[in-house]
Amino acid sequence: MATLASLWNGRLYGLEIIRFLETHSQLVLAEGTIYPILNRLKNEAFLTSEWVEADAGHPRKYYSLTDTGRQRLRLMATAWVDFSRGVGNLIEPVLATQETSR
Amino acid sequence: MTSTALPNQQIDAYLAALRNHLAPLTLAEREDILREIGAHIRDSVDVLGTPIETALARLGPPEVLAAQYRDGLLVRAASRSLSPVLLLRATLRLATKGFVGVVVFFCGFTGYITGTSLILTGVLKPFMPTSVGLWTSKTTAVWQSNGPTFGIQTNHPPHEILGWWAIPIGLIGGALILFVTTFAIRTFLRLSQKWQIKLSAPIVFRG
Repeated sequence: MATLASLWNGRLYGLEIIRFLETHSQLVLAEGTIYPILNRLKNEAFLTSEWVEADAGHPRKYYSLTDTGRQRLRLMATAWVDFSRGVGNLIEPVLATQETSR
Repeated sequence: MTSTALPNQQIDAYLAALRNHLAPLTLAEREDILREIGAHIRDSVDVLGTPIETALARLGPPEVLAAQYRDGLLVRAASRSLSPVLLLRATLRLATKGFVGVVVFFCGFTGYITGTSLILTGVLKPFMPTSVGLWTSKTTAVWQSNGPTFGIQTNHPPHEILGWWAIPIGLIGGALILFVTTFAIRTFLRLSQKWQIKLSAPIVFRG
C-alpha cells in the first residue's frame, strides 16, 4: 500500500520511491525488496512503467499508477483507516492512563 | 567481487551474478530488470554518493534478489495454470515462507494422490475386476482404518461392496477431488499474491 501511495501524486523511479517513503512516512524499505514488489504490482496491472532519459547519463524506469491501481489504493486506504481507528480506540485508555499518572 | 575492485567492475560482477540467477525469466524481462538495478546502483553511487559496497549491500545478495523475482513469476504462472506439477512447485515455494504454505502443500499433495488413485481405480476396474474395488473385512461397510480398502489389492478382504459402481464412483469422485484441489490451490496462490502486495514485505519503521 505504501508503495502505491508514494505514486499518488505522479510518477517516480525506484530510488525516488525509497527516498519518498523514508522522508514522508519514516518507513525504511529494504532496497532489494522494492524492485520485485514494483514488478509484481506492474504484473497485477496496478502500475505502468516507462524508461525516461535522464541527465545522470542513463535512463531511469518511472512507475505510475493505473486507474485500477488508484481504485485499489482507495480501497486499501479506507480499510487501513478503519483498522487504525479500531486500534486507536483500543489503545486510547492506555494513553489516557499514562497522561493521568504523570 | 572484492572491495579493492573498481566500482564499475563490482557493478558488472553483481549484475552478471544477478543475470545468472534470473535465468528462468524471459530475455526481455531479465534485461529490463538488469537495466533497472544497474540504474539504481549508478544513481546510488554517482548521485547520492553512497559507497559502492554499501549500495550493493543494501540491495542484498544477487541470488536473494533474483529469488524474489523468480518466486513472483512462479506463483503468478501457477495461479493461472492447471498443471499439478507447477501448482505444487509454487505451494512448495510458499511452504518455505510460512505455516499456511506447508498446510496447503500437504493438502494439495494429498488431494492429487487421492484423486489420481480414485481415477486409476475406475479405469482399471474393467481390466482387473477381481483386484480393483472397495472391500470390507466386516459384514457391514464402515469407513474406518481397518475397515474398507479402496484401490488395487492382490490380497484383499473378502467382501467387495461397490462392484461395478467402482467405475463411476472412482472416475467422478477422483475428477471432483482433482478439480477441487486444483482450484483451491489456485485460489490460495492468488490470495498469497494479494497478501504480499498489501503487506509489501520487510519494512522497518523508524520511530
